Amino acid sequence: MTLLPWLVAAWLFAVGLYGLVTSRHYVHLVGCLTVCQSATYVLLLGIGYVHEAGPPVFYDHPPGTPAVDPVVQALVLTDIVVGAAVTALLLAIAIQVQRRRGTLDPQALRPLRPPPSAAE
Amino acid sequence: MTPRWRLLLLALALAALLPAVLRVALAMPEFGAPTAVLGQSVNALVPELRHVANMVAAVNFDLRGFDTLGEECMLLCAVTGATVLLRGARGERGDVRAGHLPGRPVIPRADATVLVCRVAATLTLLFGISVALHGMTTPGGGFQGGVIAASGLLLLYLGEGYAGWRTLVPSPVLAAMEGSGAVLFVLCAGLPLIAGHPALTNGLPLGEWKDLYSGGLMIAVNAAVALSVTGSFGLLLVEFLEETREPADAPASNEADHEDGTMRART
Repeated sequence: MTLLPWLVAAWLFAVGLYGLVTSRHYVHLVGCLTVCQSATYVLLLGIGYVHEAGPPVFYDHPPGTPAVDPVVQALVLTDIVVGAAVTALLLAIAIQVQRRRGTLDPQALRPLRPPPSAAE
Repeated sequence: MTPRWRLLLLALALAALLPAVLRVALAMPEFGAPTAVLGQSVNALVPELRHVANMVAAVNFDLRGFDTLGEECMLLCAVTGATVLLRGARGERGDVRAGHLPGRPVIPRADATVLVCRVAATLTLLFGISVALHGMTTPGGGFQGGVIAASGLLLLYLGEGYAGWRTLVPSPVLAAMEGSGAVLFVLCAGLPLIAGHPALTNGLPLGEWKDLYSGGLMIAVNAAVALSVTGSFGLLLVEFLEETREPADAPASNEADHEDGTMRART
């Protein structure tokens, strides 16, 4: 049972990576990236977990009682918020790509090639 | 590159990385018995040193505050980038007409929806402020409180509709909140430097443990983060929902129609 958190993290990362590689749509790709990111959250929180310990907030229980690792929790917390903002940036890019190139298939999007209409 | 080739490339990369991954995986500590010393030292020392109850906030806003400053800059950059990308293509005009698909009737909202959304949006906003304020004592802080408060704006959109929402949520205010939060954070980090101390030196009185005022400078940093996150996520919501409005001038609407056509053809 103690292997379960690592397996969950590995599984999430593998699923996300497979989706990234085989993606045929930019928005789907952004979603897969988020799944990969979630794997790191599971991994980090798993690393910080301590058996039979409380949260690292010493309000109800006094300082000195066992508590889980607060550093990884802080990392995950900031990353969730910043990751959401970065996802929004990627989706904004998706809107622009759709507007200019008329497609969101990474296959059809070759970099540094002028758009077919050359309206820019 | 076809998906088959991409998968092959991935397999090659994984094969190359496999020895390193295996080595790390076999060296992982057992679940529930971490070997990292830093976290447990924080738990043991910081309640005494900083008079705060929430260790996660202490790590975020004090011990690794400089790290959070970097995260804050990333947030600012990401939101600025998204805003520039969306607004740059759309123009600065603030139209007050919601877009709708031709042929689909626009059903007015039920009174119950409007009422529930107004009540829920108010409560969400208050809850967000409360979570942000109690960051030093209970689980919470600027990051969570900011996101909760900003998501209340979405409830306003649901209840009031596009036009009402646009008058209620001024995007310059959100942008100012975001910017001033970042500036406040930089001031908190930089002012101790001027006095000759390391950045983010906690010079304010630390206050009482379990009190609303505890942690000294952490209060200011927490407020900066709360302001910045609320502004950022509010701004993102505004920008993305602006994309749904009716394009006013003819060329834009033609372009939009064309896009709709291609999208429909594709699906």
